[in-house]
Amino acid sequence: MTEIGPSAFLGLAAVLFTLGLYGAVARRSAVMVLMSLELMAVAVNLNMVALSRFVTPGEMTGQFFAIFTMVVSAAEIGLGLALVLAIYRQTRSVELSAIDSLKG
Amino acid sequence: MLPLLTIIVFLPLLGAAITALLPKERADLPRLVSLVVSLVDLALVAWLVLRFDVAGGLQFVERANWIPEAGIQYFLGIDGISLPLLFLSALLLPISILVSWEVSERPGFYFTMILLLAVGMNGVFVALDFVLFYVFWEIVLVPMYFLIAIWGGSRREYAAIKFFLYTLFGSVFVLVGILALYLHPGGGTFDMTVLAASTGLPTSFQWWVFAAFFLGFAVKVPVFPFHTWLPDAHVEAPTAGSVLLAGILLKMGTYGFVRVSLPMLPDAAASWAGFVALLGVVSIVYGAAVAFAQTDLKKLVAYSSVSHMGFVMLGIAAGTPEGLNGAVALMFAHGVITGMLFLLVGMVHERTHTRTIAEVSGLSKQVPVAGGMLAFASFASLGLPGLAGFVGEFLSLVGAWRSELVAPGYAIVAAAGILLAAAYMLWMVQRVVLGTPSSAVEGITDLTRLEIGILIPLVVITVVMGVYWSSILRYVDPAVTALLASMGAV
Amino acid sequence: MAYVALIPLLPAIGFVVMAPLSRATRNRLQWLGLAGVGGSLVLSFAAFAAVWPGGHEGEAAYHASWPIAQVGGVDLSVGLLLDPVAAVMLLVVTVVGACVQVYSVGYMHRDERVGWYFAVLTLFTAAMLALVLADNFLMLYMAWEVMGLCSYLLIGFWHEQEVPRKASQKAFLTTRVGDVGFAIGLAVIYLTVGSFDFDAVLGSAASWAPGVATAVALLLLVGAIGKSAQAPLHVWLPDAMAAPTPASALIHAATMVAAGVYLIARSLPIFEASGVALTVTMAVGAASALLGGLLAAVQHDIKKVLAYSTISQLGYMFLAIGAGGAIAGMFHLVTHAFFKSLLFLGAGVIIHAAHTQDMREMGGLARHLPVTSVTFGAGALALAGIFPFSGFWSKDEILYAVWHNGHYFTFLVALAAAFVTAFYVARLWFRVFTGPVQTDHLAEGHAEMLAPMGVLAAITAVVGFTALGFSEFLGHAGYWPDPAMAIVSTLVAISGLAVGWWVYGRRHLVLNTRALKDRAGHAYTVLAQKYYFDVTYDHVIIRPYIRATESLSRFDRTVIDGVVNSAAVLWKTAAEVAWTFDGRVIDGLVNGTARAARASGGALRRIQAGRVQTYLRYVLGALVLLMLWIVVKGA
Repeated sequence: MTEIGPSAFLGLAAVLFTLGLYGAVARRSAVMVLMSLELMAVAVNLNMVALSRFVTPGEMTGQFFAIFTMVVSAAEIGLGLALVLAIYRQTRSVELSAIDSLKG
Repeated sequence: MLPLLTIIVFLPLLGAAITALLPKERADLPRLVSLVVSLVDLALVAWLVLRFDVAGGLQFVERANWIPEAGIQYFLGIDGISLPLLFLSALLLPISILVSWEVSERPGFYFTMILLLAVGMNGVFVALDFVLFYVFWEIVLVPMYFLIAIWGGSRREYAAIKFFLYTLFGSVFVLVGILALYLHPGGGTFDMTVLAASTGLPTSFQWWVFAAFFLGFAVKVPVFPFHTWLPDAHVEAPTAGSVLLAGILLKMGTYGFVRVSLPMLPDAAASWAGFVALLGVVSIVYGAAVAFAQTDLKKLVAYSSVSHMGFVMLGIAAGTPEGLNGAVALMFAHGVITGMLFLLVGMVHERTHTRTIAEVSGLSKQVPVAGGMLAFASFASLGLPGLAGFVGEFLSLVGAWRSELVAPGYAIVAAAGILLAAAYMLWMVQRVVLGTPSSAVEGITDLTRLEIGILIPLVVITVVMGVYWSSILRYVDPAVTALLASMGAV
Repeated sequence: MAYVALIPLLPAIGFVVMAPLSRATRNRLQWLGLAGVGGSLVLSFAAFAAVWPGGHEGEAAYHASWPIAQVGGVDLSVGLLLDPVAAVMLLVVTVVGACVQVYSVGYMHRDERVGWYFAVLTLFTAAMLALVLADNFLMLYMAWEVMGLCSYLLIGFWHEQEVPRKASQKAFLTTRVGDVGFAIGLAVIYLTVGSFDFDAVLGSAASWAPGVATAVALLLLVGAIGKSAQAPLHVWLPDAMAAPTPASALIHAATMVAAGVYLIARSLPIFEASGVALTVTMAVGAASALLGGLLAAVQHDIKKVLAYSTISQLGYMFLAIGAGGAIAGMFHLVTHAFFKSLLFLGAGVIIHAAHTQDMREMGGLARHLPVTSVTFGAGALALAGIFPFSGFWSKDEILYAVWHNGHYFTFLVALAAAFVTAFYVARLWFRVFTGPVQTDHLAEGHAEMLAPMGVLAAITAVVGFTALGFSEFLGHAGYWPDPAMAIVSTLVAISGLAVGWWVYGRRHLVLNTRALKDRAGHAYTVLAQKYYFDVTYDHVIIRPYIRATESLSRFDRTVIDGVVNSAAVLWKTAAEVAWTFDGRVIDGLVNGTARAARASGGALRRIQAGRVQTYLRYVLGALVLLMLWIVVKGA
């Protein structure tokens, strides 16, 4: 049985990241964009765990970072959803194209 | 001893500072302050006249270093030529303040300007250092500019700017002349007495310097064809402005000729005499003819000034004792008489609200005092013997006739100018003073006591000087003799 | 003898006191004028007595002078010179002046400005007295001009009406034409002698270059022609009749117009040194005598008859002096002053009575104005030159002098003038005093008007007999009428009167003058147009001058001032060009930087759409580019 090498993990992570990136750029709904951002964060976590396992097997640094990042993402997503909710209350829309108050 | 001349010159400056700082709410204070200042000034000048030694040459001299690095001094003094003009200046100042008594628009600024004007006028006639002279010469422009531009008639901006630029244009040439004299090894100083006494200037150099001074002075006089700023400035200026403009400012030009051009550049003066006399005679005839055609009273008087100043120029060009005596006498007389005319025109204008000759008639019927005064001033102006104007005109004529520098033909043409003067003045008197009152004149009131009081001194001077010529010539003649002696002409 | 100074000063003081007063006060104090002139009259008699018995030409009984100025070391002075000529003139001026003042009290009493009238009349007398007493040309000239002013003021006294207003201006300007000549003459005198004093000037005149003497004499003559209303400057005098009649009597008949004659008589040495000038004087006088007389014969206005008569009689004086009969001329001046003022005063009464000046509307006044007709008759006969009235003596003396000095043609002219004079005197007399009465309410003048006329008439009747004494008093050989000359002149005068009677005096032919006019044809037209002098002056001098002044005024506005304004406009244009250059080019560099920054900012601003996703795309793009760069670089 062929051992599953790091390239598989990296390839999966790349697929996930690309999907997330696509979603973040292309989806119109803020909720979907947030989910895409989570997807990208998952891809990063996967990369970190995989590289930790294959590059420095004796240490757990990557895993810890992954857990830390997941915590941060959870908090981040909470904050993001709260923002979306607040924007929705203001504009009755979660369409990102409608939100351009950052325009200079 | 008190520095009398300094006080006389700078007392108005002090007054100007006070009037400028007075609170705006007290609108009646500036006129009071300036009247007091001007009367004190007049009293000082009168005292000076009394103490003046007729045969004493230059007197009341004050001399101090000002900018020693450049040889510039603070140098004041007075002789028989400047004395009458200083007196005239001091006399017309309170008169022009009194005639402006009711100025309502920014009185503080107005009287500040009048007093500032007095500083320049007095200063020009007593300054004996060229830099000082030029400073006073130029100071005069600023207040007069504001007087015309703020309190003037409908075209005041145009007139004020024209006056300012035109005379400034002339002043530049005066400055050029002054610097040329300073920079030339034969001159080399700003001391006007030294320059007048020195003889070291080559003739060709003198010729060019004379040309520069001539341009500057001729604009101020004004001589044909540099005269067109005068009617505009006079018409737009307030009465006091016209009085001081005609009475003093024009004299600065002819005074320049007598004080600067003749003594400092005697050779050039001799070779320029014919040209100066020609312009003088043209001014006499031209001014008289154009005055005849005027429809505006003030313009008529303005052009009559051009004509009279032509006589002054003729007398100066003649370079004879009679001519110069006549020129100085006429400067003084013209200041008094034309001052009177402008005062009266202003008083009539205040009542009728028009200066158009065709709309004013029958003054002597409706307002006998005003009409009589206007007729009197007109006759004085046309050179009636026994009144002041005749003295200068007659002596200028005789002087021109006697001069070797001026062709007799000029004197003949100038004599015809006496006739032309009678023509425009009588024509004006006939239309304005005589006849039946026009609608603009009907119902107007005669001169107030104040107005009569303003005019009386001028009337008295006109008569006294006309009857007793020595009243002025006793000061002028010795100075003129000394001047001609220094030129080597006698 | 210092009282001589008071002679001109008293009336002068009268004027100075009266002039500044209010109208009402002045009217109340009108007697001040009379007081001044009266005082002068008394003093003049004293002065005359002091000079008596005269006889030495040029010798002064009193001479004093006060400098009024020193010019270039030369004294100019006011001086008084009392010699026989001056003494005679003093008497004439003060007597006539006083008579006119008294007369005016009655004549002018209803005028609201009577005080001013008297003030000016008094000033005039003062000036005339100063002129007579002057010891130098300068003072004479000054007094001369002051009289011109008085004349102006009196002619234009009723200035609300247009005619007096214009006449006064015309008088002043016309005489001033002469004054220009006078003034130039003074300048030449001063150049030649260095002084204006009679002594110095007249004493040296004989030694002048003949050209100079002629020039001076002719220039003085020009002045005299203007003042004495001689051809061709006579045009002002008839118009001057717009003055109140007594003023006309004093100024425009008796005294001021005689000042020209006096000037020539005074400066006779200059004229004699020239010779030519005497001839010119004679010619001017002869022309004026005849032309004036002819015009007097066709006037209808009684005052104009007298005015032209004055021109004619003054011409006689010029003629006499020019012909070498200066004494005769002066004597005629004296007699004429009395009888002409008398005639004018009489005319004043007539005008008051008839309410018109037009002789065609008068007639038969003799019965209603007995005193006036008698006194006027005396004056008329004197004017016509009938013995024993004064005019006879002086005219006779002139004719004799002219004949005696060999001026035969002038003699004929003078005789013709005498004939015409007698003719118009008769015309005047018969039209006014005889024939049918045409006016109601005829009343003789007040006593204060008649009394002076009586005085003057008496003088006119007797003064001629002084002819002999007059000449001797002035220091010349006495003259007593030459019998032959007396006969000739009387015959001429009588024939003139007879023709006048024949045309105007006969009852049935009174108004048959139209036929006469028709027969005269062009000659009458020329006379009616006053020889076209006025028209010519109007068309050749006055109107062209007015047009010239108007075009000069336009020239001044458009050309001279145009140059100034164009310079200003040019400068302004140049300034605008510079401003544009400054704005576009110089400042353009500075502004260009700012504008570029702004424009780039504007362009970049567009990519800041405010959409997070857009930004993300940029980030993505940038990431891709960065990676590509790393890859390429790495490779």
